[in-house]
Amino acid sequence: MTAAGGDGQGDRWGDLLAAAQRGDPDAYRGFLDAILPFVRAIARRRCWSDDMAEDVIQDALLTIHRVRHTYQPGRPVEPWLAAIVARRSIDATRKRGRIGRQEVFNDAAYETFADPRANEPTGADASRTLARMTKGLPRGQKEAIELVKIKEMTLAEASLASGQSIASLKVNIHRAMKKLRLNRVKDPPE
Amino acid sequence: MSPSPTDTLIDQLAADIRPVRPLRAPALRALMALAAIALVAGLAIALLGDVGELRRRYAGREALLALEMAAMLATGVLAIVAAFFLSIPGRSRRWIAAPVPPFVVWLLLSGLGCYDDFVRRNGVELQLGESMHCLLFILATSAVLAPLLIWRLARANPIDPLPVALLCALGVAAASAFVLQFFHSFAVTFIDLAVHLMAMLIVVGVIGLINRRALAPA
Repeated sequence: MTAAGGDGQGDRWGDLLAAAQRGDPDAYRGFLDAILPFVRAIARRRCWSDDMAEDVIQDALLTIHRVRHTYQPGRPVEPWLAAIVARRSIDATRKRGRIGRQEVFNDAAYETFADPRANEPTGADASRTLARMTKGLPRGQKEAIELVKIKEMTLAEASLASGQSIASLKVNIHRAMKKLRLNRVKDPPE
Repeated sequence: MSPSPTDTLIDQLAADIRPVRPLRAPALRALMALAAIALVAGLAIALLGDVGELRRRYAGREALLALEMAAMLATGVLAIVAAFFLSIPGRSRRWIAAPVPPFVVWLLLSGLGCYDDFVRRNGVELQLGESMHCLLFILATSAVLAPLLIWRLARANPIDPLPVALLCALGVAAASAFVLQFFHSFAVTFIDLAVHLMAMLIVVGVIGLINRRALAPA
């Protein structure tokens, strides 16, 4: 399949999306499955890693879902799709640039001890400690931590549940973890 | 093998599908917004404006007045139409430049009018005090027109809200400046022109900031 898609293919995508606008779930699934290679091709061209491209693809799919009412049936789908994916790629690149300039990600910092068992929370104290620690977090950060770290949802699931984009979730989790670590230093658990 | 997060997301999105009404063509939506603005502005001019004073002020310079007001109106109309087009993904980015030519013409003609007035007054300029009325008028009119436009543009959840917000603000500021012409009690001076531009910059800045948030997708 080519990244641009043929005319007949574009027409078929347009028909599927128009049916999706009327609420047809099968047409919508067919549309999302059909456009995925097109979306992936644009995302990969604009991102410097496969991980980042997958984030952009998921963000683009969520955006497509939110703005599907802006597609005008009968018009070409490809420019509409390409603009959404390109925009989300630019947003992701800018966000990564900002985070990279201002914050350092230290994976090992989440580990308090080398022995994994030492990091396990202890019974009933855990929920109380957690509630106290997350009390002062902004709503978005608290929600991100609860959905991804506590309920162990995937980023895509958490994004759908919270309405936050995947990139926002990542930023919120990162910032929340940073605050939680600082809080632990200032106010160590009893 | 378990499905990838992207496949899971597609499953969830397909399960979450609800009927939506496609937006009308951006040109039609822009026309409807412009009609609403024209109605509000027309009523204000008919009830409170002074067309006779406008004619007296530009006596002997009717062509300049007509051109200047046409350029002002074209700036506002094209900026608003462009905002509606740019709020839809995939529409030409060239719409950003649409209001620029009439805006430049408007500035040149205003400058010419100012110079003409400056010569007539033998180099005596008006004080800033009189122009403050214009500043407040443009800000107040923009505050009335902007919410209407923001509400209509937000329907599209623009994926790139900043240019949409800036064009919306330019359109609102130009429309306000157009309406102001019917309430002006004195000819435009250089100070007045500077104050008009300052008012527009304030409107563009404030609406740009507010709009960017208001127009951003959820």
